[in-house]
Amino acid sequence: MKKVLLVILLVAFTIGGLAANYPSKPVTIICPWGAGGGTDRLARFLADQLSKELGAPFVVVNKTGGGGAVGHSAGAYAKPDGYTLTLVTLELATMHWLGLTNLNYDNFDYVAQLNTDPAGVIVKADAPWNSVTELLVDIAMNKGKYLFSGSGAGSVWDLSRIGMLNAVGISPDYVTWVPTAGAAPSIVELLGGHVDVITCSIPEAWPQISSGQLKVLAIMADSRDPRFPNIPTLKEQGVNWSSGTWRGVAVPKGTPKEVIKTLENALKKIYNSDAFKEFMNKNGFGMTWRGSEEFYNFVKEQDQVWKEVLKIGGYIK
Amino acid sequence: MSYVLSALQPNVLIPLLISMFFGIFVGGMPGLTATMAVALIIPITYYMPPLAALAMILGASFSSIFAGDIPATFLRIPGTPASGAAVLDGFEMSKKGKGSLALSLDLICSATGGIIGVLLLILVAPPLAKFALRFTNFEYFWLGIFGLSMSAVLSRGNLMKGLSSALLGLLISTIGLDITTGYPRFTFGSIELMDGIGFIPAMIGLFGISEVLKRIQGSEKELELPAINEKIKPSLFEAFKIMVKKFFIVVKSAVIGTFVGALPGAGADIAAWVAYGVEKKTSKKGEKFGTGIVEGVIAPTSANNAALGGTWIPALVFGIPGDTITAIVLGAMLMYGLRPGPLIFQENGELIKGLFFIAILIQFLLIIVGYLGIRVYTYFLKMKTSVVLTAVIMFSMIGAYAIRNSYFDIYVMLAFGLIGYLFEKIDVPLAPMILGIILGPMIENNLRVGLTKTGGNWMPFFNRPISISFIILIFLVFFGGYIVKLVKKLL
Repeated sequence: MKKVLLVILLVAFTIGGLAANYPSKPVTIICPWGAGGGTDRLARFLADQLSKELGAPFVVVNKTGGGGAVGHSAGAYAKPDGYTLTLVTLELATMHWLGLTNLNYDNFDYVAQLNTDPAGVIVKADAPWNSVTELLVDIAMNKGKYLFSGSGAGSVWDLSRIGMLNAVGISPDYVTWVPTAGAAPSIVELLGGHVDVITCSIPEAWPQISSGQLKVLAIMADSRDPRFPNIPTLKEQGVNWSSGTWRGVAVPKGTPKEVIKTLENALKKIYNSDAFKEFMNKNGFGMTWRGSEEFYNFVKEQDQVWKEVLKIGGYIK
Repeated sequence: MSYVLSALQPNVLIPLLISMFFGIFVGGMPGLTATMAVALIIPITYYMPPLAALAMILGASFSSIFAGDIPATFLRIPGTPASGAAVLDGFEMSKKGKGSLALSLDLICSATGGIIGVLLLILVAPPLAKFALRFTNFEYFWLGIFGLSMSAVLSRGNLMKGLSSALLGLLISTIGLDITTGYPRFTFGSIELMDGIGFIPAMIGLFGISEVLKRIQGSEKELELPAINEKIKPSLFEAFKIMVKKFFIVVKSAVIGTFVGALPGAGADIAAWVAYGVEKKTSKKGEKFGTGIVEGVIAPTSANNAALGGTWIPALVFGIPGDTITAIVLGAMLMYGLRPGPLIFQENGELIKGLFFIAILIQFLLIIVGYLGIRVYTYFLKMKTSVVLTAVIMFSMIGAYAIRNSYFDIYVMLAFGLIGYLFEKIDVPLAPMILGIILGPMIENNLRVGLTKTGGNWMPFFNRPISISFIILIFLVFFGGYIVKLVKKLL
């Protein structure tokens, strides 16, 4: 009898211990994008901070490919024990509409959102337009004349453009989207005068903007960014549209609530630290906090927003 | 001169040397790329002063690009994508028992090519960067076609077999997400295939695994690797003498390499192929390329190290990456508190001067570090061949897996090993297939995006000055020989 009791006690301790002592072994953070990029830098910073905060090693693993589908899937279909986290990005809300995967927002439980980067409308410094209104009027009168770029077809920066044009009643096919592998090659195209306008986040083009090679006509955010107080929002200029990419931490659906709570608290603490602020500032990342519940609702809402925009852009029939 | 002094401090030199040894290790491992070496170093560099951080990045990238040639020469497995062209003559020399000489020559030319690339970066960066900006889809399309025309140059003997190999490479390159429409092609619903066939696993398979397969099916004697019978000591002095004699080839290839590197749409791998092709086409010994001659070793290796200098040109002048390494560096610079782009020369002028100084210094250090790398490698090869071949397969698997942490890529590598083995049985050259896989996306995407830009108008492909220059070059590749003969006859 004593033995049975001992076993029961041991089992109970182990089971209880699993959740209570989380994390008791190394934790993997899956980054769906390549090493060295913005998402990867954030993932590595968080891994470092979480290791300090929770006392177990957090290791970043880059699982890239399929426009983000590979990494997001690996993260969603991992064991829901809290030992596999995923740095989810906006593509989670678009890629299943694009037919790249069956995975959608409902395959994850959400821990916290840490970042949003609004899109900017960026042109060459010597371009004739000095405001978004001038640009949009010009586009409306010259169908098919101007080339836009920023990233691939159906990417967040492409969708940002479609949403902006749609908000003022211009059909997206009034301009041509030049697909590239990302913001950097689009900036090259713009500098070389091979495209007319790019939409991408402002920090991505900041070196060229701050050195006076490029200028920003507007930022697609609800309010001005305190870091760039001179850049007007689209809404100020009468265009009811804001858009941008975001990043956060999620775990596979069915992860124990206590584990999510532990992670959320740790992330909250990191989010409020000076080190995090400094990191985000240096990288030009915008800071946004949404807790577990709020983040889930946000992603759910995003899923519908982008569905509509993808329809307008002709990506969903 | 303060920048020279600050560069010579132990807090810069020691991390630099460590990163260079690390680069040799990563580059010498099949499948681990120079980009990966840099990505692995970056998190450490955040805790360093900017000059030491940038020195580590430069050191790791230059040394790993060189080290990629070590397994390429000894085992016919390119250590990094930039060493693809190095397998052609390097491995043939190795088969003749001159592997150490080939690598010594490779090392000396890498360092010299590196110096030329860095000097061009220091001296002509702004105009070259401005010129590179004039390249857009129309020009990149022709650059791709020009590169592909090299596959005709590369296929010794049977042109049909060479072209079939190139076409198969092109077909393979169409697998995956189509960048212009975002539509998945030939993926059969597999998300692993969405990014296409990984170029690196395919290359390791085609060249490396096929070589292992070839060896194990032969007799005990054939199993032996060529490097085992020769003396271990690399002969730097002999190599230096050869380099001096062929100095013009080094300069020519390094200039080509720097220029290709400076183009934001092409990097060290394409640079090496183009330099090899150009050298083969213009050399009097053209027919002998691919049989293990020194010219075929010198051209690609001078070009790929020079290309690294070239990739920093758009990075420093405009703040736009010249390749995947500089793309990572530009992101890391933010973390060092630097603002990449044209302002860096005004804001951190001393730092940039120090960086240029270090870049030159690295080329000299490379000779020492690289020499040690070659020696360690030869000791490894002195082991029993069965052990070496097993280790080669194991490291190839690790390398293929490490690219994006995917088991799928290991199968890709093994499948291509089999393809490579079978193709060589029927004398189909493998290099054109590699060119097809690398250049296919460049050609296709630039053609389609170019046509999207013009609304279907083909004219810009033919009436822009750089486009026309490329068309003439391609014409010369195919018909240059005949024209010379014709002119000679008429005279």
